[in-house]
Amino acid sequence: MGKIGESEALRRDNETTDMALFVRTSDEQFSDWDRQRIVDALIRETEIDLLSAQEISREVEELIASSNISMVTSPLIRELVDAKLIERGLERERKRHTRLGMPLYDVDQLILHPNKENANVPHGPEATNLTLAERIKKEYALLSVFSEEVADAHMRGDIHLHDLGFIDRPYCSGQSLDYIKRFGLSLPNSIAMAKPAKHAEVLLAHMVKFAAALQSHFAGAIGWDAVNLFFAPYLEGMRDEEVKQLAQMMIFEFSQQAVARGGQAIFTDLNLYWEIPRHFEDVQAIGPMGKYTGKTYSQYEHEAQRFAWFLFEVFREGDGSGRPFFFPKPLVHITEKFFGTLGHGDFLHHICEVASEKGNTYFVFDRGETAKVSECCRLSFKLEASDLEDAKQPWKMRYCALQNVTLNLPRIGYLSGGDDRILFEKVQEFMDMAVRAHLEKKVFIEKLLSHGENGPLALLAMKRDESPYLRMHRASYLIGMVGLNELVQIHTGKQMSVSKEAFKFGLKVIAHMKLLADQLSRRYGMHFVLEQTPAESTAYRFAKLDLQYHWQKAQRVIKGDIPRGEIYYTNSTYLNNGAVMNPIERVRQEGLFHPLIEAGALTHIWLGEAKPSRESLANFVIKTFTQTQNDQIAFSPEFTTCNSCNRTSRGLAEICGYCGSRDVDGITRITGYFTRISSWNKGKIGELHDRYRNQGFLRAEGGNRGYEGEMAELVSV
Amino acid sequence: MEIQIKGFLETSLLDWPGKLTAVLFLPGCNFRCPYCHNHSLVIHPERFETIPLEYILMRLKGLKGWIDGVCVTGGEPTLTPQLPLLLEEIKNEGWAIKLDTNGTFPDRIKELIERNLVDCVAMDIKAPLDSIAYSRCAGVSVDIPVIRKSISVLGNGGVDYSFRMTVVPSLLTEEQVYEAALQLVGMRGLLLQDFNPSDPLGPGLRGIEPFGEMRLQRMQERVDAIVGQRGDSYSQPTTRGRGYPLQRMNSSIGRRL
Repeated sequence: MGKIGESEALRRDNETTDMALFVRTSDEQFSDWDRQRIVDALIRETEIDLLSAQEISREVEELIASSNISMVTSPLIRELVDAKLIERGLERERKRHTRLGMPLYDVDQLILHPNKENANVPHGPEATNLTLAERIKKEYALLSVFSEEVADAHMRGDIHLHDLGFIDRPYCSGQSLDYIKRFGLSLPNSIAMAKPAKHAEVLLAHMVKFAAALQSHFAGAIGWDAVNLFFAPYLEGMRDEEVKQLAQMMIFEFSQQAVARGGQAIFTDLNLYWEIPRHFEDVQAIGPMGKYTGKTYSQYEHEAQRFAWFLFEVFREGDGSGRPFFFPKPLVHITEKFFGTLGHGDFLHHICEVASEKGNTYFVFDRGETAKVSECCRLSFKLEASDLEDAKQPWKMRYCALQNVTLNLPRIGYLSGGDDRILFEKVQEFMDMAVRAHLEKKVFIEKLLSHGENGPLALLAMKRDESPYLRMHRASYLIGMVGLNELVQIHTGKQMSVSKEAFKFGLKVIAHMKLLADQLSRRYGMHFVLEQTPAESTAYRFAKLDLQYHWQKAQRVIKGDIPRGEIYYTNSTYLNNGAVMNPIERVRQEGLFHPLIEAGALTHIWLGEAKPSRESLANFVIKTFTQTQNDQIAFSPEFTTCNSCNRTSRGLAEICGYCGSRDVDGITRITGYFTRISSWNKGKIGELHDRYRNQGFLRAEGGNRGYEGEMAELVSV
Repeated sequence: MEIQIKGFLETSLLDWPGKLTAVLFLPGCNFRCPYCHNHSLVIHPERFETIPLEYILMRLKGLKGWIDGVCVTGGEPTLTPQLPLLLEEIKNEGWAIKLDTNGTFPDRIKELIERNLVDCVAMDIKAPLDSIAYSRCAGVSVDIPVIRKSISVLGNGGVDYSFRMTVVPSLLTEEQVYEAALQLVGMRGLLLQDFNPSDPLGPGLRGIEPFGEMRLQRMQERVDAIVGQRGDSYSQPTTRGRGYPLQRMNSSIGRRL
């Protein structure tokens, strides 16, 4: 299309036009100049009157004619028209007439250089496509999906609207394998339909493909409930070697899915149980060909345990060069029943060994009668009464969070000038803005869903049982926070790790947010929940914006290295990453926030190069379960992987311990997943330098920390 | 005189396998191991604040139910004259105690064991028991019979104990490691640990490449075979195999069905 044929060129010579001008259109065509097109576009897109449209088109034509150029592009014409709209004060019309796109220079940079906003995006043509698409959808979202107030609050950095580049998808999804076990793989846009799997390998293939389909319909994590249990009916009669092989296939499939959307591995969470979760005990098990096996799930305990065990054997071995697997993430649920289940001691040691050697294991604590499904970095859903009813038909258990909006808490500190009343008013104001953003996104997604199985979200609208795949009435709306520690520091003068008063104030702020979320949920009939935002880049973005807008105050509390630009706010409700604090204290204190943060929370224990015994870790895990309110912990070791000899050693080093090469890369947990440090943004690099790895125990003589003061505080407690 | 406690780590996952412990660091040492990574504590203890014992005991109170004991290390803790007193104070609070030592004062170790002031002793084995190798690795002249005596004190002492050895390629050959292992046959295992080249006491060791994880693991396996016990087996009453406990699981299923 893009080439002008000879005859066409001839024809053009013979034609008389107002202007001898070619226009390069966005459709890869040359068109002759035609002023009427401007008029048509203006009327179609902005609804201004014909006369004004004609007048503008004439003015633009004159401008171009007088410039003597022989070729214009349609984007340029559009910009010129926009300039005329501005001259007339037609701001609303100009906005509607905006063109979304990117400067040549930016595209050039993007294709050549890696994107650091999300360390889970590699660099390559698919990743570039993803970023380009995200840019345009982000602009679209801010101009068209959200109101100006919400968009401005985001641009200013009062709040952060996550995954704007994925505006036309919900945030994350959690489900059970029973959906594909029962219905097979029958996707709306797929040309072939697969009946329910007969064999374990085929079920795995269905799972991987369905996960990829879900990844292209959700912005974030894809979580699977009780994976080992739901696989169990397929494992009967398989030898141990075969089960291990299957475990290996599953982990490699998910860790090497970096060929899917945007070259991104699917952010996969595997929820695993050693026991049969209470709510599945008496549920009829679905087995090969989607048929009931005639047994209940509790009769598959042995197979489920076998699979869980081998999954962790594969995690312990690591990938082909001994590196930890970045994905999938195994989350083991620790419950009261866990401790009453035979073999739990061995299994706990087994998963603790993996935690110590490779760091993969997440320990999720479901105390009392709660049951949870985990997704994303630390997002989990507590199952409610209605869900437990659904659990009898596990394919119904499909959950999603529609969007995540994070509040910039330190900003509230700068704005309230030390006044409690103003501070809590501002919290409310920011929360209201977040809720408004949620309402606007909800309307947009509902619009897309209303087109049903022929619409843009066909997969989410498909009805294999009585309701669409995406159950909107069960959706959660996440409200996250960044920098509670800095808010408290600005407001009280002290960080939460050094002062009990400061810590209490932090708790008060989060309790207030929880209260507001509950009130707003009742008012709107929606489910607003607090979440510890992973804030991989948000903690950096907020810090940068505040240095710009609130330099005086911000420079005193921002963490990291300001001259190097490696700055960040402390994530969510965390205590200072660098505080010299024993891990018990951290787990205990951070855990006090967890009951308020319904959508899940996590405490990191940075191990550095230390490799504790599995028995010591198991000891720590048991005590965390019995003696704290902490919802989830993960131990994070650090590794150096060599790009020359491909071997991986413990600790962060500048030189490979095996071959002496300097071409090495560090690996450790960035937020809720492992990745190479070279892909991290500057804020996270700053945090990495600060992370306390339980190493400091000597204090220089003459230091200003008196023991008397601390002892006095201890006595007073 | 106040007990010179120079370092205090409230919780360690590392120092007493299987247990969570607090760790106290006492100053000074009669050895000058070139690979020592705590050397500022050994050579310049005055540069660090002394931490009051009451403060430590008070902090420990807050960790009741969480930590399982206290590890006393150094430097060489048996050089501190008030060590028995210190251990007594800690014992009085109900804590189990693990002592790290280089084994140059067997009588002091014996006394601590007899007075029930320690529950576990971890002794460093620097080299095979010949005075040339040992003195080279310890950086000072070492009287081997004294070391032998400490080993037998632990063997007969009725407390839990362990041996460990830091291996530095330029100080010890692999063969010497196995020789040392041979001298410990019938005892608890010998745990090898790799040398950390980042900041050793002896400038000559800077930049020396450690054995590395894989080689060390192979050496450990051979040492375990020679000694007849796993190097890290002392910590826990249960020594479990690494395999999948199929036997037990099958029986559990069998019982229910």
